[in-house]
Amino acid sequence: MRRSTAAAVGTLTGAALIIGVRLSVTPPEAPVVAAPVGNLAEGTPAPKPSSKKPAASGSKEKAPAKQKEAAKPKSGLKDGVFKGDAAANPYGKIQVTIKVEGGEITDAAATFPTANDSATINPPAIAALKESTLQAQNADVSAVSGATYTSESYVKSLQAALDAAKA
Amino acid sequence: MGTTVSIELGEDRPDFELRGLITSVCDWLHEVDARFSTYKADSEVSRFGRGELRLEDASADLRHVLDACADLWRDTDGYFDAYASGPLDPSGYVKGWSVEVAAARLLAAGSHDHYINAGGDIRMRGNHPDGGPWRVGIRHPWEADKVSWVLALHDGAVATSGTYERGDHIFNPRTGRPAQGLRSVTVVGPDLSVADAYATAALAMGESGIAWLAKRAADGYDSAVVTDDGRAFSSANLPAAV
Repeated sequence: MRRSTAAAVGTLTGAALIIGVRLSVTPPEAPVVAAPVGNLAEGTPAPKPSSKKPAASGSKEKAPAKQKEAAKPKSGLKDGVFKGDAAANPYGKIQVTIKVEGGEITDAAATFPTANDSATINPPAIAALKESTLQAQNADVSAVSGATYTSESYVKSLQAALDAAKA
Repeated sequence: MGTTVSIELGEDRPDFELRGLITSVCDWLHEVDARFSTYKADSEVSRFGRGELRLEDASADLRHVLDACADLWRDTDGYFDAYASGPLDPSGYVKGWSVEVAAARLLAAGSHDHYINAGGDIRMRGNHPDGGPWRVGIRHPWEADKVSWVLALHDGAVATSGTYERGDHIFNPRTGRPAQGLRSVTVVGPDLSVADAYATAALAMGESGIAWLAKRAADGYDSAVVTDDGRAFSSANLPAAV
């Protein structure tokens, strides 16, 4: 019985996320969080960082928040990690995993398709890469990694300067 | 291959020994260039590409390169493609592989502390001469004399692909159009040929390459990315220097 509760919760979370993703591909006039991610789905090459990040994390956080409201009045959830059924949407399958601690959902994660063009609708917040400010440092390094495709570009590179300094 | 190679050996050994090691690395890289360059009509790759050399008559090295390119094509959902520009061009694999082989030969010859930097793609081992890790800067994509990350590694590979050098010459093999969205992709991991292929593939993917790279972290390949509009992303275990 508990297991079916967990499965239902998993499906519900999945549904919330699917709605999130669906919103993201509706045209910009669609409500609230849809607009910025909609830009991404439509293939605008460079969405603004400021608009995209909140939208992406918003759609991710929404699911657990809704869950808590729905779950609390019921009897406590069993602690553990539960996987929902893989749910298909027009862009691929999404499977949601939730973590329950002390009867409350403490974490939710979704696996998204990456194959084909569907990858473009995945909110980058799902990815483990975190955003930071781009640095421009004068650093003390032994070697420099960069896209240096020709010997002419090597001549102008920081690596060439380092090599000259060591020679 | 028209690239410049920098080699640093960290060992305290007699000068003639160090020179011998560097000469052997250079000889191997020249041999690779002669056999695998697509710019040389008589190279093994060019002859194979024209159908003059049968697969069963190809060298073990060429067969290895072809197999590896096929594996990487699958691993990257087709974004690393040795046939992206039409005829066979495995250079994107050969560069990293040849440096891996060179570094392995250095190790076999008793060199435990070294790095080889081939056109911005680096394989290193052991310690910097000061006893600490090698410090590797990742070139800032707009300011050639600045670095945007500093990594500290004892053992591993760092490869960077970017659109800032070749402009629009990196193509998305799915669309045939120039890749856009990402300006610079750096991948750090155990094998330089894989790191290099992953960086090239992610660059070709554009912004969805960020999510794709995130999944490679589980296999030990960390990454640092700069988008066309100047946002910076890095994986949690990127070996950034402190």
